Amino acid sequence: MSDPIYLDYAATSPVDPRVAAAMGECLTRTGVFGNPASQHVFGRRARARVEAARAQVASLIGAPAAHIIWTSGATESNNLAILGTARAARARFAGRRQPHILTSRTEHKAVLDPCRRLEQDGVLVNYLSPDALGIIDPQQVREAIGEDTVLVSLMHANNEIGVLQDIEAIGACCRERGVPLHVDAAQSAGKVPIDLSHAPVDLLSLTAHKLYGPKGIGALYVNPQRRAELQPLMFGGGQERGLRSGTLAVHQIVGFGLACELCAEERLEESRRVGALRERLWEGLRSIGETLLNGHPTQRVPGILNVSFPGVEGESLVAGLTELAVSTSSACNSDSDEASYVLRALGRDTQTAQSSLRFSLGRFSVDTDVDQAVAAVRREVARLRAVAP
Amino acid sequence: MNDPGQTPIADLAADPLEPRIRGLFAALDHAGELAGAAAPGREIRGEAGREALGTRVCFALRLLEGRIVAVRYRAYGCPHTLATCEWLARQLEGRSLAGGALEAPGVGNPLEWSERLGLPGAKLGRLLVIEDALRAALAQA
Repeated sequence: MSDPIYLDYAATSPVDPRVAAAMGECLTRTGVFGNPASQHVFGRRARARVEAARAQVASLIGAPAAHIIWTSGATESNNLAILGTARAARARFAGRRQPHILTSRTEHKAVLDPCRRLEQDGVLVNYLSPDALGIIDPQQVREAIGEDTVLVSLMHANNEIGVLQDIEAIGACCRERGVPLHVDAAQSAGKVPIDLSHAPVDLLSLTAHKLYGPKGIGALYVNPQRRAELQPLMFGGGQERGLRSGTLAVHQIVGFGLACELCAEERLEESRRVGALRERLWEGLRSIGETLLNGHPTQRVPGILNVSFPGVEGESLVAGLTELAVSTSSACNSDSDEASYVLRALGRDTQTAQSSLRFSLGRFSVDTDVDQAVAAVRREVARLRAVAP
Repeated sequence: MNDPGQTPIADLAADPLEPRIRGLFAALDHAGELAGAAAPGREIRGEAGREALGTRVCFALRLLEGRIVAVRYRAYGCPHTLATCEWLARQLEGRSLAGGALEAPGVGNPLEWSERLGLPGAKLGRLLVIEDALRAALAQA
């Protein structure tokens, strides 16, 4: 039996073969295997590759290379941004006030879980609710910022529904009130333009494995004017200007850098192509009947489509679609049969939320993938609806 | 996510549905309605659960001369729920009502179904919904 059609790029993307080849140059004795912290030539060669990659990553988001901190991925970047900001704020407040953080109900668990952890330690956290299309109104942010707000953390593109927030407008509200904005851009970087030379963003999380780079490497952009408001979470070596200790994984970093460069070069054409595939998929699924699109119809990344099939239980639908690799929810949640908290936050009832599938397309998706997916979903939805009471 | 080290490595890449469940789920031959209102015998029905809670099951059984001659079901739920409904329908057809159909050898209770079909323990709640639907039907026998 051949492998299923991969429609789960939002969970992770395969490494681009060009990226894999570059990574392979940094592993063995004849390659760039040195520790970038070493002073000998092996270390210097590695350091040069690391700094070249830093420039490639920075270029993708319109930032200076010096503002990029390597991490293990977006989860660590989000934790560093949120916990590191809260830690610094608590030191500044010295127990006289409680820091306040503003985020939303539809964030990834890598933002929600550190926020919940901070609540246990007495930090106040407010969770904004999006509208029915998944959009956070910047005015909500403006009104919710208080005297003790130390961070606003909102994702750029939602991992389940692909909806994009207006980070420029939200950032402008934050700047008005002098509060730093952290943006989780794991799903948007390389897919839509991000230009931090204009966007008022102070911290931005990136990961390589959503943009055809390797797993295990990510970055946090840090606005140097906010550097003092961030404390490290890891100690031991002082790498990354003291914000993230640990030997740098040169092969991962080189892969991340090239992946970003390829995205920058190919983004326009790729976004157009993938966006057209997504529309083809949606038109096909819509023709099945009684299908609901989740999230804003146009304010979204090109590759993610989240659709509910009322009357069809999501786990059974996925189990029946043996020829497709899709998710009932975000990959991190897929072992749970609970309804998606993102869809519930949009106002979908539990049953509709349980009947949803996330399709995510990417660089290696083609027309025939979409057509086969539509045929498979049509068959299985009809079968399960016929079985349902 | 799987707890690291808790699942046998050989099982990690396998279909999460056991082959037997996969087979039943792929061939829901008894799903639907009993054919022919004019068919001999008496029809009894029972249902339980709610879609909003993830599982709803309806059973229809045709009785004739003290036996279950046909079983059909409709179900909304996970693959294990649908597979178990199908398995039970196959088990129940032809059984005598004497002494209680669910108590007959080879049918049993949700714990036994779970064991016989190799279902995950987390699915027991859904099996209880199936049992409630069947018992509601059989209460009319």
